[in-house]
Amino acid sequence: MLWSRKGMKTSLTLKDESPNQGISPGRPRATKVHSASLLKLCPTGALVEKDNWIRVDEARCIRCQLCRQHTPPMEWDEDFHWAKLNTHRFPHAFRHSLHIRVIDAGNCGACLNEIHQLSSPVYSFHRFGISITPTPREADVLMVVGPVTIAMKTALEEAYEAMPTPKRVLAVGACALSGGLFASSFSVVGPVSNVIPVDVEISGCPPPPLAILDGLRQVMGVRLASDRER
Amino acid sequence: MTDKMENWLKLITQQRVRGEGTSGHWLRVPASSEELRNIVQILCGDIHWAFAGIVPERDDAGDGFHLLYVFYSDNGVLVGIEVHNHEQSIPTISDILFAADWQEREMEDLFNLSFKGHPQLGNFVLHDEQWPEGLAPMARDIIHILGNEKAAAETVTPQIVKASGSFVMTVGPIFSGSEESIQFFLETVGEEIIFAHIRPFYKYRAIEKLLEGKSFTVALLLAERINGHAAFAHAWALAQALERLSDLPISARAQRLRVFWAEFERIRLHVRTLARILESTGLSVPANLMHALEEDLLQLGAIYGGHRYLFGLLRLGGLSRDWSASDLEGICARVDETVSKCEMLIKNLTFDNSFLDRLESVGMLTKQLALDHGLVGPVARASGLQRDLRKWQTYGAYRHLKFDVPTQNEGDGYARFRQLFDEILQSAGLMKQIPQDFSNVDAVSRSATFRSGMAFGAVEGPNGAIFYNVGIRPDGTVKSCRIITPGLVNWHAFPDAIRHFTFQDFPIILATFGLSVADLDR
Amino acid sequence: MFLSVSVLALVLIAVVPRNWVTHTSSTLQSLAALSLLWSGVQSLFGQPWALHLWRLSGWGQVVIGEGHLSAYFLIVTGLVLLPVALYSPCYLQRLERSYNMRIFAAIFHGLTMAIVLTYLARDVITFLIMWEIMSIASYLAVNFEHLHDSHTRAGYIMLGASEAGFLVALGAWLPLVVVSHSINFAIISGTASQHMSAIVGWTIMLCSFFGFGVKAGLFPSMSWLPRAHPAAPANFSAMLSAIILNLGIYGIVLINGALHPITRPAEGLLVVVIGSLTAIIGILYASTENHLKRMLAHSSIENMGLITIALGSMFAFRAAHMPNAAFIAGIAAFYQILNHSVYKTLLFLGAGAIDVGSGELEMDRLGGLAKKMPWTSGVMLVGAMSISALPPFNGFVSEWLIIQALLRSVEISNSFEQVIFALSGVIVALTAGLAVTAFLKLFGMVFLGRGRSDAADNAREIGVGPKWAMGLLAATCLILGVTPTYVVSALQPLVSSLGGNGDLSGLVPSFFNLQHLSASLAESFQPLGAETGRSFLPSPGLVFLHQSNTPSAHVVFASSPSYLAAFIAITLGIVYLVMRFVKRRRVRTYNRPWQGGVHDVPANANYTATGFSNPIVLVFRAVLRPEQPIEREEMSASNFHKAIRRETRESYVVDRLIFYPSNTAIEAIASLLAKLHHGKINMYMVYAFVTLMVVMILSLWVV
Repeated sequence: MLWSRKGMKTSLTLKDESPNQGISPGRPRATKVHSASLLKLCPTGALVEKDNWIRVDEARCIRCQLCRQHTPPMEWDEDFHWAKLNTHRFPHAFRHSLHIRVIDAGNCGACLNEIHQLSSPVYSFHRFGISITPTPREADVLMVVGPVTIAMKTALEEAYEAMPTPKRVLAVGACALSGGLFASSFSVVGPVSNVIPVDVEISGCPPPPLAILDGLRQVMGVRLASDRER
Repeated sequence: MTDKMENWLKLITQQRVRGEGTSGHWLRVPASSEELRNIVQILCGDIHWAFAGIVPERDDAGDGFHLLYVFYSDNGVLVGIEVHNHEQSIPTISDILFAADWQEREMEDLFNLSFKGHPQLGNFVLHDEQWPEGLAPMARDIIHILGNEKAAAETVTPQIVKASGSFVMTVGPIFSGSEESIQFFLETVGEEIIFAHIRPFYKYRAIEKLLEGKSFTVALLLAERINGHAAFAHAWALAQALERLSDLPISARAQRLRVFWAEFERIRLHVRTLARILESTGLSVPANLMHALEEDLLQLGAIYGGHRYLFGLLRLGGLSRDWSASDLEGICARVDETVSKCEMLIKNLTFDNSFLDRLESVGMLTKQLALDHGLVGPVARASGLQRDLRKWQTYGAYRHLKFDVPTQNEGDGYARFRQLFDEILQSAGLMKQIPQDFSNVDAVSRSATFRSGMAFGAVEGPNGAIFYNVGIRPDGTVKSCRIITPGLVNWHAFPDAIRHFTFQDFPIILATFGLSVADLDR
Repeated sequence: MFLSVSVLALVLIAVVPRNWVTHTSSTLQSLAALSLLWSGVQSLFGQPWALHLWRLSGWGQVVIGEGHLSAYFLIVTGLVLLPVALYSPCYLQRLERSYNMRIFAAIFHGLTMAIVLTYLARDVITFLIMWEIMSIASYLAVNFEHLHDSHTRAGYIMLGASEAGFLVALGAWLPLVVVSHSINFAIISGTASQHMSAIVGWTIMLCSFFGFGVKAGLFPSMSWLPRAHPAAPANFSAMLSAIILNLGIYGIVLINGALHPITRPAEGLLVVVIGSLTAIIGILYASTENHLKRMLAHSSIENMGLITIALGSMFAFRAAHMPNAAFIAGIAAFYQILNHSVYKTLLFLGAGAIDVGSGELEMDRLGGLAKKMPWTSGVMLVGAMSISALPPFNGFVSEWLIIQALLRSVEISNSFEQVIFALSGVIVALTAGLAVTAFLKLFGMVFLGRGRSDAADNAREIGVGPKWAMGLLAATCLILGVTPTYVVSALQPLVSSLGGNGDLSGLVPSFFNLQHLSASLAESFQPLGAETGRSFLPSPGLVFLHQSNTPSAHVVFASSPSYLAAFIAITLGIVYLVMRFVKRRRVRTYNRPWQGGVHDVPANANYTATGFSNPIVLVFRAVLRPEQPIEREEMSASNFHKAIRRETRESYVVDRLIFYPSNTAIEAIASLLAKLHHGKINMYMVYAFVTLMVVMILSLWVV
């Protein structure tokens, strides 16, 4: 009984750099190991050879961990600063309060659930002034998850048009960034950037809540760990 | 009824198959399209078999398709009635068996098969606003057609209520805060929902088509991502089907570990559904606490299973990791802690009138309605149907484990709420039985040979029965795949459950069903 | 002068070519209205006049003249007739093809003449004859579009009710005439109050109240109203609601206020109770009704109820010897009559404009007219705000005054009477709330949003004449709302003559003496502005201020609609200027409404008026008693619905509780009596014999 009376201790903050077990499966790190079989392994073609390094295309990696279980295995990082910014100017008005409209353009449910976990007391984005609104008319940020299906394309465009300026778009998850495993389907238009301009990209399948929160905080103007060279 | 039919009816009602047979656990019965309606009437009306779905198969001889109507019952047998589609002559069975309604409409849209007498064909999977008529994408080999992106027009709202002042309230496809995209048309004269229509397939990703030509590893990855919450169950169903077409031996250890993680996933998804129900009734404190419990389980899955949603855990022939018995016991202990916290919350809620008022007698699904719609999963069991593939088909290690299948009688929102928790308790009990009897055989998969053909995989996922019918090619790729998910079956009953309730009850009933749109739309 | 103009009009109508009929009639009508106004104003502020016509032997003088009461009602009539006259030509164009306009104009002029003569009658015979002519003329006008069967039925019900009311009212006139041996009003008012037993007094009061109450649309005889208003053409509906209903009130006030004043408080309380019932029933049906004209008819019933409450309070206070309170109640009643006439005319003319512009009167099929008919929507907004009692319009003032009058009931010593007043106060509050809902629905469903049918999508604005008429009325609403203290002081002589005898300064303190308040209180009010404008505004001032005489607490009631209006105007002006300045830097984009991701939804996806009032129907279903909907499900195949049909039939609560049972009772009695008509000659002879015997015995016994 005490547990439910005392509440949860929201201890995870974005300043915490140490790897948090169970928060993030991590992401593959670029490696110098040569292996032709490794390049052929990736089901979405995220492993690309460049300058003797095997680099990872963040937008395509679906965290299937086949490369982690390969011999020789690829090394994986366990951090959560995954947000990639396409825009660097964010309005001053976003600093203390951000309203999000989440749009499910065709996702499997995992990314949407991670966003929903942000409102649970473990992560609690309310303490930063972030909230989810049901109408794009009051939204500052449009968060799109899932590969955009043809039927949802109109809805996504309508929602984007219905938002007042200033507005920004976050694409969350590999499906939203590149179409993921579904990119070649006849019923999928493709990544979100085929339909509306994307300002922040958060890769993962699904990205853990802390990674999404990281992206949101950057939209709010908080400067965190800089993007390391991958 | 012909003698032939009498004979095989006797056969299927008496046959008890308890083996792990790679084939032969299901019967194919050819029938003509005239006999179809009689057979269905007998199977579902008289002897109460459950309807799984319609599986189309390309006719090797000609150009057409023949359809397999799959039925099952508690004796572990799957029966497929094979009907050939000569000149589009198949009559509809939706008026006898309402559960076949959406399956037939899907077949019409995707394969261009028409069913005589079905009043509502068309504009189902492929919305008329985007797709031209007669496309039949699944019937073709190569698709280079993109949707016809016509200029956006006015939505067509169906209206069947003729009362003065009645109007149609459109909800969606984008609605609420973080709900999946699906559209509803609610007909009303103000307060009461007189009739409801659902328009799904806004999230149609055509996974059945995508699977064609993929290697088995990639096919498993795709199956996981149909419904991220039931990833392990979907992957297991696909693996079951593929393993039936191979000579891969699956060790007892692997079988037990698969049960372990499937039950873990079940507990996690049920906790999530409980949290969503609490949210919908406006009790934000217990809802948030329940979400925190779900987060506990997600983190547990990430630490021990490698991924929060257990993606990439199941491989052909086994799993991608291994654990010691003490690891498993540690997981069980943590799960028990979470379950007891959940129990505490629910016990406190039993005395909360504002909570009970919103759930009791709301969203009624009588047993007869559940039978008509052919429901599966906790929704069906809450309406009194004792259906569970773990007992009916006894796949995996379930035949060696002891557990009950709880049911409720009322079929209202509160019954579904209680059902979820009862199943959590059963799953926790199952998980505890796994570390006790463990053999020491290596659980990681080896390579194997496959023979071409078709096989069924059937798994009781957290939301209900999942069926995969997979056909493969000898070079190790998938030829065709038919996926019947609990979403496809259970969403059909939703409009009947919300009839005659008010708009305020709508989100609550939606939450008590706990269904996934991604499951339905695939 | 009015009469000569009207006669001229009648002559000209017969003569003038067809196309000019309506215009001629309307011009002359406007002139007539203006003359009415002029004479009314003169008589109200000046001297009443009387014209003796001829003498009937044994009865008395036949007199025509104007007293204060008649003058007031004539002003109201003129105020309504003028816009109706301006409105008529354009509106009647749609009827020109199927009906003869000469006849319409003839009926119209005949009706107005009858109404005016009723007001001018100073003796019983003239009154009764003119009343009958008015009834018949109003029936003819209601049934003017006689090609529709429902109109004839509605007109017939109205005529029947009217005649029944007339007969009951006769029961009041006869004793008065008998007791005073004269038909002359002057003589009756002098002698009638002297020696009358309680029974006769009660008979007069009850017969006059319920008899004239039929015409005024009071409980229990109001079923004819919601049927007659939609049947009549809109300009006539306006007259029906704003002038003819007033005739009923005039009759009640004439007998119970002027000729035979009420001396028992119980009679006043009965009036208050009936008024409350009328008001609540009226507004309940108004808020759930979707036909525009029928909804306005129910709203008229509600307003008549409010007027009756105020009148009843006036009677009761006067009988209880509380002249100040009676004065306030009387002012409230007459202000409400004036206001109701003005804004109800405005609303009905607007409804007529909607009918002409779109051809639809059902709210479920209208919508989005604000863009298509901007002028009409503007004036209807003014009308809706006025009738919902929102400042700065006139409805606010009269409702405030009614509630003030009811609050003064704390001074009554009898606790039973206090309870009645308190309950009626509660009912007034409830009706005010429901009235806002009802008119919110009207304005929102008809003008805002999107069209729900093709008729609404293709609506056109109405012509110039009606625009002027409606604009005039809207301006009147505003003026009456912003300068209430002057209106009150204009009404003072009328109310005083009816026995209020209250001091005007008891309600509106003049700039110079606040005599009813203690000195310290007066000083504290000075900074509040009771003295503002002293130098340039004519007396009495801009603030309502009155105080009850209860010994326990010094409670002062104060309000100033004029200041309120000024404040609203200034604030809105400032906000507008600020927004103009601020908005210069912003970018404005216009967009489609957000529909959940779809591009657009069709007309049947809009909220309807039925949906809006559905909660009210559910809450009050014990009263409204909508019949259980019969749901018929039509299936195209087993399990597949093709249609679900629901029919709800509602019955009017008054019909259901009073008329249908009495119908059944009367039929039962009649069928019993029919047994006597069996056709046997022998028995008939026995009947004759028995009757003869009874008469002989009676005559022997009496003599």
